[in-house]
Amino acid sequence: MLFLRLLKESILFAINALVVNKLRSILSLLGITIGIFAIISVFTVLDALEKNLRDSITSLGDNVVFIQKWPWEFGGDYAWWKYLNRPDPSIKEMDDIMRQCQSAQAITYMVSLRRTVQQENNSIEGVEVMAVSQDYDKVKSFEIANGRYFSEAESASGKSITIIGDAVANALFGPIDPVGKYIKVFGRKIMVIGVFKKEGESILGGNIDTQVLIPVNFARNVVDLNSEFLEPSLLINAKPGISNEQLKDELVGVMRSIRKLKPLADDNFALNEISILSKGFDSIFDVIGTVGWIIGGFSILVGGFGIANIMFVSVKERTSLIGIQKSLGAKNYFILFQFLAESVILSLIGGIIGLIIIYFGTFFVESAFGMQASLTKSNVILGLTISALIGIISGFIPSYGASQLDPVEAIRAK
Amino acid sequence: MHAVKRPVIISIVCIMGFIGSLFSFLWVFSPFIKNLGDWYPALFGIINTCGFVAYIGVWHMKRWGIHLYAVAFFSRTSIYILIDDMGTFTIIGIIVSVIFITVMSLFYKRMDVNL
Repeated sequence: MLFLRLLKESILFAINALVVNKLRSILSLLGITIGIFAIISVFTVLDALEKNLRDSITSLGDNVVFIQKWPWEFGGDYAWWKYLNRPDPSIKEMDDIMRQCQSAQAITYMVSLRRTVQQENNSIEGVEVMAVSQDYDKVKSFEIANGRYFSEAESASGKSITIIGDAVANALFGPIDPVGKYIKVFGRKIMVIGVFKKEGESILGGNIDTQVLIPVNFARNVVDLNSEFLEPSLLINAKPGISNEQLKDELVGVMRSIRKLKPLADDNFALNEISILSKGFDSIFDVIGTVGWIIGGFSILVGGFGIANIMFVSVKERTSLIGIQKSLGAKNYFILFQFLAESVILSLIGGIIGLIIIYFGTFFVESAFGMQASLTKSNVILGLTISALIGIISGFIPSYGASQLDPVEAIRAK
Repeated sequence: MHAVKRPVIISIVCIMGFIGSLFSFLWVFSPFIKNLGDWYPALFGIINTCGFVAYIGVWHMKRWGIHLYAVAFFSRTSIYILIDDMGTFTIIGIIVSVIFITVMSLFYKRMDVNL
């Protein structure tokens, strides 16, 4: 009980000392504020990016295998000359795969084009128009907020219908319900039968809000799908209980047989997965995290030296007071806690200010970049722990020195 | 209050320890430790701070310094075993700590018992 009372008293002494020297306290905690801000802001941004990436992967389908001409590769030399003459996946191959592949649950053909989309006097340039086959809704996860998806008959007949993204609907129709209205793409009038539910920005691209979906059998009437400038893909997902690896193993055999490749010939197709992209991003995140940590770490160390310096000055200033306290019976640990509390409180205030700046910074990031960012519990714990510990480390030497002072010599000090 | 004279070997150990503590303090808050869990940076940070404070105690030839250092060492090693992280750097760290504890213990009787 006595110990707690002494601890409380030493903290009150420390707070009083900080209040008396306001300007000095503020200047010395700036270093910690900057350090905490640097480290925690980097971690917060990384957390936000990772969350966005995970959401994007879920949206694109983490259980989907893409058959394409070009492999997704990160780092090293990209041997583009090996892939240049490969054939593009075709609609016929889609049908063959569906017949032969036992592990596949659904397969869709997809090709992306950039076109201007018009509605009366409104138009948007460079909209991503996706021509897809019927099973697109079984392979990719999305929700339709208003309207419906293509029927089998509509897809097969190549009816001029479309489902548009939320951003496209807002830009072209404003508050008017677009379902049943017409837009103009490829110089043709197409009826809107649905609007996708808003998804927000995606780190991997392919944001559904800015897309326009049309049946591929309609697209082949207005665009040459065999053009070398298009890069079509076949998207396949596995049946329940079958892993992507098993699906890929079977797909290799099926594709080789469809393309009649000789046993020793290299594959002339690429099987890509979203995990390849996420692994590539992981290494980028690691680099950013490490750089932020190093910069922030050294800022904190410098801030710690600043606090240690102020604490030495504080001890020097109050040497005679320490002498009086000790001569009146104050224990060594009372003096130690008094100065240590001052240093920890100073450092904690610096850290808390840094965290508050980041907290408000997340609102700015959200409004400026449309990316969901929040100060997580783990980052708050990290920030407060760093602050408290740097306060102990930088304040212990001066505090311990103060606690070891001889009372007589301390009283005589000027 | 008569201060005990500090042997040169203890000074060397403490200076090495101070430098090591500062750098390992940076390591404690790295993304690698953060990925272990929310509380791991705090846990390693507290242990590392105890180690730093222990060196100050040993520098002043205080017995509590050795006690605190031993507690920090055993806590750190237990966590490494718990998370199954016994890589080369961890083993080198353990060997260095054992050497430090041995050197400190040689002068244990000459050390002051007070705070």
